[in-house]
Amino acid sequence: MQGRDINHHLTRSLEILVESADELRDLDQALGDGDLGITITAGSNAVVAELAKLSAEATPTDIARTCAKAFANANPSTMAALVAGALLSGSRVWEGKDEIGLQDVAAFTSAAAGSIAQRGKTQVGDKTILDGISAAADALRSATDTGRAVAAVVEAAARAVDETTGLQSRRGRASWLQERSIGLPDPGATAFVRFVEAWARVAESSR
Amino acid sequence: MKKIINAPERFVDEFVEGILLAHPDLVKTPGADVRVMVRADAPVAGHVGIVTGGGSGHLPLFKGYVGTGLCSGVAIGNVFSSPSSDRIFQATKAVDGGAGVLYLYGNYGGDVFNFDLAGDLAELEGIETRTVLGRDDVASQPKERKLDRRGVAGIIFAYKTAGAAAERGDTLEQVASIAEDVVEHTATIGIGLAPTILPTTGKPSFELPDGEMEIGIGIHGEPGSRRGPLETADEIADHFVQALMDDLGLISGARVAVLVNGLGATPLEELYLLYRRTHQILAGRGIEIVKKYVGEYATSLEMAGASISLLELDDARLELLNAPALSPFFQER
Repeated sequence: MQGRDINHHLTRSLEILVESADELRDLDQALGDGDLGITITAGSNAVVAELAKLSAEATPTDIARTCAKAFANANPSTMAALVAGALLSGSRVWEGKDEIGLQDVAAFTSAAAGSIAQRGKTQVGDKTILDGISAAADALRSATDTGRAVAAVVEAAARAVDETTGLQSRRGRASWLQERSIGLPDPGATAFVRFVEAWARVAESSR
Repeated sequence: MKKIINAPERFVDEFVEGILLAHPDLVKTPGADVRVMVRADAPVAGHVGIVTGGGSGHLPLFKGYVGTGLCSGVAIGNVFSSPSSDRIFQATKAVDGGAGVLYLYGNYGGDVFNFDLAGDLAELEGIETRTVLGRDDVASQPKERKLDRRGVAGIIFAYKTAGAAAERGDTLEQVASIAEDVVEHTATIGIGLAPTILPTTGKPSFELPDGEMEIGIGIHGEPGSRRGPLETADEIADHFVQALMDDLGLISGARVAVLVNGLGATPLEELYLLYRRTHQILAGRGIEIVKKYVGEYATSLEMAGASISLLELDDARLELLNAPALSPFFQER
């Protein structure tokens, strides 16, 4: 994919993602402070608005950095800062590239997962967004066929979130609830799954 | 609770506007956003910049320490909440004189996330940054977990020394290592007697019955690590100084700077009672007090209470503490 394709696909995916805002807000009210709905809605809308201002020549790196800045400033929460840091980490991997392939997406996602692990002082299994991103990165690394990769990512991320539902949250506000967090999926990881699902829907419809 | 305000949502912008109007010779805002404030002569070419920041409600922290020989810029958040990464980044750009920028602020989750992200944005524009966190509150975590302690009033020692190092032309690496060294040798502990009232909610941040005090208080109107019966000034100082000496491992012959800090609503008279006893104890233990600071240096709006900080001195730290500095709230000649 080139910059303008990424821009277009991302814009449509985010427009779908915001439809999950209520679900994410309710989940986050049960486990956190309830601002995830706003973070996702305000963040996605801000990203879409900034993406629309980019020229057709904007590189994949430019696009990732635009997303990071817009998302961080829209509703400055911990989640927004973590996601923005992850996008900036990923953008470094794409530096100098005009065309993004499967391997580049895998490298981007791995870098993003690494950033979240480091900044959030978290690891896989702590029941955070990292569980979803890390599973997606693994699926991307082992994917060989671009057409089937998207479905594999959706499945891997959803399974990772499903598997951690029975665990206790170990990071962030949700960890303060201790065993009461068991039985509910992590809101941040769920948001990530909704994003990759949205991406898949756009991919499906453009075939 | 009565407050002198116009509108809660304008509270922060309006007091910052007041500072800018009162001290145009010392500070300015580099753009249209008053939530980003830098020293009047920023950027200083060839010198390291120091950006601090955090929530509002702590004056003179953080805004009061922007000036010569201190911090070069500040990003300003709402009351008790982190500034955005964008404001930190704007402050970074405005103070960068080509020698890099030190981020020096208190160890709080939201601030760390936003400063780290601002550092990413700065790096993309070719500005090198380093981070040193104030983490002097000995009551917030035991010594084995000192890296997780929160930052309170003692951060002013790091401002003063790192600011002096930047002023004399030290490199970013040197300024950061001086700040880190000073943080490492600073310890603070505080008590609260009455809560803070947030301008947005108009409600007290905790309830405290007559005759009790919160021990190990922070600077965000939060409760302390434990509650106990109110003690006399001398008893409080006895317990605090002992805790600080133990934490820093001070022995006879050591030299220190002492900071007795009011949290907002405690009269200076009471702070001097605490200083008096602190001075007596330290002198009795053969510890020399070389520098002393008594007054309001880091507050929590109108919280009643006080903190005591000690910085263990060596020649290098003392020289930097003694260097000249000038900001709206701090002066060293």
